[in-house]
Amino acid sequence: MKRRVAVNIAVGTLVAGLAGGGTVGWPASVSVTLGVLTPLSPPGDASAGQLIVRGAELGVQYINTVMGGVFGGKAGCAAPAAQVRLAVEDSSGVPEKAIAGFRRLVSEDQAVGVWGAFHSSAMLAAAPLADEFQVPYISTAASAADITKKHFAAVFRTHPIDPDRAAAWLGFVQAQGWHKVAMLAENTDYGIGLVEATRSLIAAGKANVTLDAVVFDRTSSDLTPQLLKFKSEKPDLVLNVGVGTPAYLIVKQAHDIGLFPETPMLGSYDFPVRPEYWKNLGPAGNSLAFISYYHPRMALSPLGRWAAVEYAKRYKDVAIYANLNSFGDAVILAEAMNQACSSDPKRIIAALERGHFDTWIGGGVTFPRAEGVYWHQWSPPMIILQYTQVDQTYDQAPILYPAGMKTGTYTAPR
Amino acid sequence: MDTTLIAQYVLAGLVIGVIYCVMAVGITFIYSVMKMINWAMGEFYMIGGYLQYLLITLWLGPSRWYLALPLAVLGAGLLGMLIQRVLLRPMFVGQVERLDEYATIVTISLTVLFRNLAIVLFGPYQFSPRDYAPAVMLGPLPLNGSRLVALLGAIVLLGVFAVGTRWTWFGRALRAAAQNRLGALSAGINLPWVDTLAFGIGVGLAGAAGALLAPVFLVFPESGALSTVKGFEIIVIGGLGSLPGSIVGGLLLGLVESLGSVFFSPSFRDVYGFGLLLLILALRPAGLWGEQTREA
Repeated sequence: MKRRVAVNIAVGTLVAGLAGGGTVGWPASVSVTLGVLTPLSPPGDASAGQLIVRGAELGVQYINTVMGGVFGGKAGCAAPAAQVRLAVEDSSGVPEKAIAGFRRLVSEDQAVGVWGAFHSSAMLAAAPLADEFQVPYISTAASAADITKKHFAAVFRTHPIDPDRAAAWLGFVQAQGWHKVAMLAENTDYGIGLVEATRSLIAAGKANVTLDAVVFDRTSSDLTPQLLKFKSEKPDLVLNVGVGTPAYLIVKQAHDIGLFPETPMLGSYDFPVRPEYWKNLGPAGNSLAFISYYHPRMALSPLGRWAAVEYAKRYKDVAIYANLNSFGDAVILAEAMNQACSSDPKRIIAALERGHFDTWIGGGVTFPRAEGVYWHQWSPPMIILQYTQVDQTYDQAPILYPAGMKTGTYTAPR
Repeated sequence: MDTTLIAQYVLAGLVIGVIYCVMAVGITFIYSVMKMINWAMGEFYMIGGYLQYLLITLWLGPSRWYLALPLAVLGAGLLGMLIQRVLLRPMFVGQVERLDEYATIVTISLTVLFRNLAIVLFGPYQFSPRDYAPAVMLGPLPLNGSRLVALLGAIVLLGVFAVGTRWTWFGRALRAAAQNRLGALSAGINLPWVDTLAFGIGVGLAGAAGALLAPVFLVFPESGALSTVKGFEIIVIGGLGSLPGSIVGGLLLGLVESLGSVFFSPSFRDVYGFGLLLLILALRPAGLWGEQTREA
């Protein structure tokens, strides 16, 4: 399904416009468009896409109200202030729709910057277009190493990459004293990338662990045969590398055959922090450990605190990482426009490469032209949490890893 | 290799195979009576799942899932009858020239319509009712309660279907229509009404599979996509139009997928089914129970 939503957040657009203000842009207008390309329908993880759109809406609200739009004296830019509007395209998490969506955002909506990717395959398909159009494209939640490893000139990322994720879970496995790991990974760039990254780290002697990885078709509904194989091998940990529906199916079906929670399971991303987690899994979801990039005990930057408060007001819900990182990407693009003093995408790319930006968490963001997978890469912190009670909220879940942030130990089911 | 493990794979294969049978019987039944292929079977599977979820969560409560099941099947069946009456009946009253193309276009359009309606009405999210029953042990083999209910429910449904089509007057009318529509018409059988009911029963079976499996495979807008593929795989394996072929084909497919995972790799589970399909087509091009026909 093609879903095309254009959300105009601009309030009180400046009539003076950019013409004559010394700002170089695409084309001179009274507002600047930013684009979000994210999965909003199956087979993509539409729930993640919805959260990313909410974060983007909040980001644009922040830019237009708190920042007073872009330019207008910010970062020494004397150009007249301009409001920002948001255009949203649905990638469905599939490459061909991501390509079409990116084209529409840039050529029809004239977006000067795009973010919101969640599925690596979709992001990787649209990334060459970002270079072709010379429009900056930030990966909000797609983590395949190739996204930055291919050194696209216009592609940036504010999300952890596969090798970091693999290093995190291998570190956790070692800290637990476990040695035998089974991994069930979907046949996407994300899943296969994580299998390869984990194997590479083990081969490089970074962890004394044996790995049995099984790749499954992400359209499969019945994963029982794969999980039965793991059950017979009695691993110390099962890594759940499904995204969206498959992630839930792995937990549910592992529970059905008595594999989980008797054998610990680690979710590869933060799907358990979403409201539907307990609704879908009920007691079967208890004891799951999972990677997260945010925990309410972590200190937010002033930007992040504003986003958390406004999010609660606007959506009557607690902000989670997908909201916050999408919010952060919107603000980073606005800051880059201010630093470039231009809405010309090429100048925004240059500003992103050389600038320093605030985001939802402290420390500041930079996108260095670094070697290998760290090209244009900034990573938020990565932690491992565990649910220890049914219907537990994630702010109550103990942090198991890394050691410096630990608030609890792995709890085996009673 | 551990015999308990193999037994567990066989059990898992049989459970899923019986569910496949229900889908395939529905497709075959509609084809036999109406001589058309319903490409939207997977969407009726999806609708059955949604109806089951809604009935349990909004009205009956988790403990009365067994009341929700027949209602969900009835709901899917009635919707099917309505669609047959409004969209498909023109095929059989001389208003359409190219029957096969018409049926294909209408039912493929229905797949798009229903998937998008599901997204509009319920959002693109997954839903799952609670398990129907606690896990049980079949000897040394653990079996999830919902899968057991799905297995027993599917067997009961297939049994009722077999009895209904074999020993009731209406069943004989359906079989007559399947064997020779003109003959059935000249024997005084109300064919338009038989068609409507046949379509309702066929899609009701798909809805039953969706409702039975709602807690196992979750309910979401695309949940029927794979079941359609499996259903058509089975009817080609079993032979188009053959009900025994659909049952044997479903069980075979479930077992081959499961055992292929034990002896080869679980990564290629869906490939084993297609391997079986190719093998059957090479050895018996009309399928296991299919009849070779010639058209002038």
